[in-house]
Parts: sequence; C-alpha cells; structure tokens
Amino acid sequence: MAKLSLMFENKVVKEVPIGSRPVSIGRSPDNDIPIDNLAVSTYHARVYYEGGRLVVEDLDSLNGTFVNDLRVERAMLHDGDSIWIGKHHIKVDATADTAIPVDTGRKAAAPKINETMVLDTKARRDMLQQAAAMGERSQFSPGRLKMPTLVILNGRVDQKEYVLTNKLTVIGKSPMATIHLKGWFKPQVAAQINQRDDGYYLGTGAKIPSVNGTAIQGPVRLNDGDLIEVCGIRMNFIVRE
Amino acid sequence: MQIVSGGVSDVGRVRTNNEDSFRIVEPLNLFILSDGMGGEAHGEVASAMAVDTVEQYCSNPGSAKGDSGVTLHGVASDSWAPETKVLQNAVFQANFNIHQSAQNHPEQRGMGATLTAGWIHDSKLSLAHVGDSRAYLLRTGSLQQLTNDHSLVAEQVRRGILTPQQAEESDMQSVLLRALGANADVDVEIDEIDVMPRDVLLFCSDGLTRMVTEPEIAGKLQAETDPKAAAQKLVDLANERGGLDNVTVIVVRVQDDSKGWFSWLRRDSGKKE
Repeated sequence: MAKLSLMFENKVVKEVPIGSRPVSIGRSPDNDIPIDNLAVSTYHARVYYEGGRLVVEDLDSLNGTFVNDLRVERAMLHDGDSIWIGKHHIKVDATADTAIPVDTGRKAAAPKINETMVLDTKARRDMLQQAAAMGERSQFSPGRLKMPTLVILNGRVDQKEYVLTNKLTVIGKSPMATIHLKGWFKPQVAAQINQRDDGYYLGTGAKIPSVNGTAIQGPVRLNDGDLIEVCGIRMNFIVRE
Repeated sequence: MQIVSGGVSDVGRVRTNNEDSFRIVEPLNLFILSDGMGGEAHGEVASAMAVDTVEQYCSNPGSAKGDSGVTLHGVASDSWAPETKVLQNAVFQANFNIHQSAQNHPEQRGMGATLTAGWIHDSKLSLAHVGDSRAYLLRTGSLQQLTNDHSLVAEQVRRGILTPQQAEESDMQSVLLRALGANADVDVEIDEIDVMPRDVLLFCSDGLTRMVTEPEIAGKLQAETDPKAAAQKLVDLANERGGLDNVTVIVVRVQDDSKGWFSWLRRDSGKKE
C-alpha cells in the first residue's frame, strides 16, 4: 500500500494511505488532504490506483499540479516523487506498507517559525523559482510588476499621460508633485498614489478623490481601467502590457 | 527645513532581551534602525554594529578606504544624490563588519540584522534598507509605506501568490530573503523621496507592525505632535496587544515653514524679531 505525505520543512505533517478510493487534495476541508491556501483550488488534484499503477490527476486547477518540476494533467507516480501544489510539497511513498491511521478529525497544524531565518542563496533561489512558476499562472495580477499609466481625460495639467515610476506619486500644486495642478486655489497635495507590494493605492491628500464615482474612505487599491477624479481632473488608471 | 524627532526601543512583553538598536544623528538628520537576529544575544551585537557603522560612515565617508574589503560605488555615479550613495556604501560596510565578525568569532555564526536608514538633506530623504524593518510617510492624513520588505511572504505578495492578508497570517513571516551579515555581499535597496513641510516619517521594526494596524499608527501620529511621545504611545500600544517581539519606533516631523513667512513680513514692516 502506498501513502502520500504532506511535508513542511522536511517534516511530515500529514500522512494519508492510498487504498482503493482516490485521495483528494484541495482547499475544501472535505478533501483527504485539505490545504487551506488561496493558491490551491477547491478540488485541486487526486491520486489513485489505475491498473495497478499510481496516478496523479490535476482537476483543472487554476495554478496547476507539478510532479518533480513538471506541470502535469495526468501522470504516473513513482516512489520518491514529489507532488507540488501551490507551495506545498507532497511526497509519494510507493513501497510503504502502513496500517491505515485512525482519523481523529483534527487537522495537522504546520509548525510555526518564531525565530527569524534567512534563506541561503540556494534555498532562496529554489523557493523563488517555484514561486515564479506559480506566479505566471496566478489568479492575482501583480500590477506592481508592470508600470501603470495615468491617462488624463480632462483638466489643467502639464502632460496627457504620466507613467507611475515612483514609490510615491503626488497630485497637487506643490513643485514636487508628479502631476502638477495649475490654478491658484489648488492644494499642495490633492491626492497621492503609493506603490505597495500588491499594487498601487490611491490615498487622500487635502482633497478626497473618487474612484469610479465613489469618494474613497481610506487607501484604495487601483485596478486597471479605474476612473479617478480629484480637483476637477479626471484620469484613467491603466496597466499596459 | 526644521526637523524634530524622537525614538523609543522596548524589549516587548515576551522576549528576554532587546536585539533592536536605533540611533538619531541630529546634526545630520540621519535616522538608523536595526533588528538583530541570532541566538545567545548575538542579535544585539549585530544590530549595534549595524547602527554604529552607518553612523560612523555617514559622519565621515572619506575615512573608510580600500582595505575595508567593501566594493564601494562611486559617489557621483548615476543620478542618485551623493548622500544616497554614501548611505548605501555605509550599509555595505555594516554588512561587511557583521559578516567579518561572525567569521572571526565562531560563536557569532548565524548572527545578522535588518537595517533601515533615512537621511534628510535639502528637502530630500535618502533611504536605504535591507530586511523587513520599515519606513513610512504620513502626509495629509495618508500613511504610505516607503520600503518593500525583503521577506519571503512579501516577495510572494509581489509575485501575486499571496494576498497581503494571507501574508499576515502566514507562519513564514519571519523568513527573510536579505539580511546584513548573512553573506559577504548584500543587495542594499535605495530610494529618494521629496520631503514636504508637515510630513511625518516613521521608522519601525516589525515588532510594531505585527501588533498594530496602519490606521492605528496613522491615528497616533496625527494625535500626538511630540515625536518622542508619539513613539512611546506606539510602543505602548504594541505591548498592550501582546508585545510578542522587540519593538522600536523613530518618529520624525518636518516642521511647517509658515513661521518663516511671517518673520519675513515682520522684518519688512521694520520691526525686529
């Protein structure tokens, strides 16, 4: 009888034997191996015996199922293979002859890391390589990786378009503003855009800008195509390929 | 531009020693913060070394010469201001010193530190950082993050694998991709931000941001105008929430220069100040 071992940092977190029924893996708690992570689809993959051979099948997941380093739809598994789902590693043990463990109904908790660790170069490269492979197919668009443009639709400013290259973009009358507003009564800082890890956030300045017609109540993450309005200036936030 | 500042560092409620260090070099308007790591209180050694080195180097850039083993970048190369390049070189030197020390003292192996430093000169803030200690800017009520964490979870957010919420819940938050002392060389991230009157800058170790939300940080900074008192209030709030880690906060306020305008008016009307 073979078994699947969900690994974390070279420690076994959960072990599931593969019997006559398929072993399901996915985000929903009713999977045999539940993985609570948004990069994992609700029903992501399953492992079963077919004609005496051990097979893994991807269930049309968003981010894919990998065996060793290759993305697969359906593949034969061998002893020692590694299945990668999201950042989770499942080891295949095809020679084991284990008794079926009693399911106590409790989820195995991943060990917490309280001390700061620095990944060495190889570990970092390996983790980032996997991360990069997943990132290309990720459901979240990393807007930060492409530089967005503010296209001015109407209003008295210097340029028709502004590419947002900086961490902070100021819209206002200040000489330090990227988008410089003209007019006696315009504030130094009307609104601001902050580039963060997950995208660009519009924040208030002396004025409260609106996004798609609604005044913002705090920093708001901008999406491709959003219409921003402040101080009578209307502009489109565009993320170009 | 007149600058006032204050800083507080606290061991927190759980740890037995404080491995954070910070320094405010008032004559230079230079602010340095470091969060050390490594067993047996070596984190303290690393963060103190980081802060001392950056202070010494920025105070006297010409003094560190060839045999320090550090590859220095030409101060006038490319479009960065000289202070930005000097600050970056200072952090390279700090990395070298910590790494060397660990080579020479085997018991220090594995010690390292984050570093975040800001240097204000001529309405410009030069920023340099390695690790996950942060710099923020509060301007007209909006709190904006100036540094991207060099941590695994932050990198996963940048690549679209995790949302910021998932990153906050992750068990791997302490895993860093860059730190001082880990290798002989390090990638120091630098940036320049234009500074305006009434700006408030905040430098902090992750002991603050793990326990206190950004809206709360913004609220405290707006409510308390004395920088040291504001820093203390933020530290107190982090401790009230559990104080799971050492916490260090530096608050810097750029004063409103409208006073200067009025003194010009008074001079013009013939009255002495």
